[in-house]
Amino acid sequence: MKYKVIISFLFFAAASLVIISATRNDGYGPYKPTYLPFNIPKGWPKPTVNYFAKNRLTEEGFQLGKKLFYDGRLSSDGQVSCASCHQSFGAFATFDHDLSHGVKNTFTTRNAPALMNLAWMTKFHWDGGVNHLEVQPLGPLTAPNEMGQSLDTVISYLKNDTSYRRMFIAAFGDANISSQRMLRALAQFTGSLITANSKYDKVMNGQDTFSNFEKKGYDLFKLNCAACHKEPLFTDNSFRNNGMALNRFADEGRKKITGLPGDSLKFKVPSLRNIQLTYPYMHDGSIFSVPQVIDHYISGINVNQPGLDSVLKKPILLSKLQKNQITYFLYTLTDTAFTKNPRFNPDAPVYYNH
Amino acid sequence: MNRKYISGLLFFAGMCCLQQSYAQKNEASITLRFQYIANDKPLVLADSTYTNAFGEQYTITKLKFYISNPRFIVKEKNNKEASVFLIDAAGDDSISFKAPAGEYSKLMFSIGVDSALNSSGAQAGALDPLNGMFWTWNSGYVYFKMEGYSPSSTADLKRMEYHIGGYMQPNNASREISLALDKTITLNKADHQEILINLNLDKYWQSVNDIKIASNPLIMVPGSLAKKASENFPAMFQIATLH
Repeated sequence: MKYKVIISFLFFAAASLVIISATRNDGYGPYKPTYLPFNIPKGWPKPTVNYFAKNRLTEEGFQLGKKLFYDGRLSSDGQVSCASCHQSFGAFATFDHDLSHGVKNTFTTRNAPALMNLAWMTKFHWDGGVNHLEVQPLGPLTAPNEMGQSLDTVISYLKNDTSYRRMFIAAFGDANISSQRMLRALAQFTGSLITANSKYDKVMNGQDTFSNFEKKGYDLFKLNCAACHKEPLFTDNSFRNNGMALNRFADEGRKKITGLPGDSLKFKVPSLRNIQLTYPYMHDGSIFSVPQVIDHYISGINVNQPGLDSVLKKPILLSKLQKNQITYFLYTLTDTAFTKNPRFNPDAPVYYNH
Repeated sequence: MNRKYISGLLFFAGMCCLQQSYAQKNEASITLRFQYIANDKPLVLADSTYTNAFGEQYTITKLKFYISNPRFIVKEKNNKEASVFLIDAAGDDSISFKAPAGEYSKLMFSIGVDSALNSSGAQAGALDPLNGMFWTWNSGYVYFKMEGYSPSSTADLKRMEYHIGGYMQPNNASREISLALDKTITLNKADHQEILINLNLDKYWQSVNDIKIASNPLIMVPGSLAKKASENFPAMFQIATLH
């Protein structure tokens, strides 16, 4: 009797083994991702949404996201990638461009926002129309003046490419190539773009000191700018009417999303980190230098503009010297360890169609 | 040895019970099949012309919508199980789900997608953005999409397009549909119940609110107009037959 029980047990164990190995093996070896930690910089708040709870960060997912990010073949003319408008050397904004270029010599109508510290954001785009990090790429992928591609074409391209097939298996365990997995891999890359190693950060951590000029600029910044550009992210992620007039695209910003008249001309407060590299500024890239941006807040605002944010109704008065002090403080937010990080940069040279 | 034999036997008995409970849960399977009616005639896509309550003529080229959380109601007790299906008049016209055995007098489902699923990142299956029911520039799902042409339309090419959706208050466009069964039905274990449901387009134009093609040939964004259109959804659905 005893041997029957033992044999049955052995049979059961063997059967389970076969089932377990069959579910995870596609001829590329067993699924063994390298899990990555999500490190919150010292003194920073915890992100409101944990984007990596359901989409666990792995080296394989990150690398797949990076490949997708730098791949121009996702676009309809084969030349425009995410990186075309989000360039590492411009802190992942479009360097020196008010508006970015899409396929077929098209222009966008807004300045490409810098991709940094996205894991701390809950709304994306200047108007906040995108409600989750994962679904953001759907906009630029399909917009006719950006990458101009249908989602079906993107997915079938990925399915027919052996290196993508291999990378999807490495990242997710099997060869199922879906929009969900593509978007999750992209979120692993873009959500990992953390900048927290500028001179400002080193000063805050006691590893460096501001010059007198920068220190005076910092004090003036705290008095005049920090209400919206809140440390340590240098944005409070709110939407505000900052006194910019309605532009030639009749872009009313947040109102387009909420339909509320009170949201007219409200745009997202951008982070000022790496501001030295993200010029030109504002939602339409219409201001080209930091001192000119400060000039806008000193004298460029139409104080009678309906819906003007209440913090801007009181005039900001700064001398030319003070303006320069703030500018020099803002340049301490430049983080070249971030922009030059080989992990975030392409493995091979990228063709920028600009 | 005896003890080992008994424990082995118990183990196998346990395994068998487990298997059985998976194979034969105490539930019946339900199929809801949809048929589309306009002017008391079956809807033919991209062909027949219909007339709404305001005398406006139209043809339909596309009709797709989400059904969420279909369920039977037992004495008002809600056995809600989150699920979502995409119905396409040019494709899949039926959905299947399971319900515990019991006596039922009411069928419920939503036209729409749960708010949380509109804002929790990339989804798969029926909610895959590949299905063309996700707004990329203003995140969220189109719950009900109806497109066609009408001579009353003032839009380009006499188009009419109704992309009804929106998950944020006060303009959430998801609508609960509650259909009383004309008789109480008893579902036993492993029964299969098919229910044919009419979607009557005449009610889309006029029931709680008036939706006139001439005044609104295009509703493509969440907002008060989309909400108004969605308030007509409940009147559109009736049970045709219980099989």
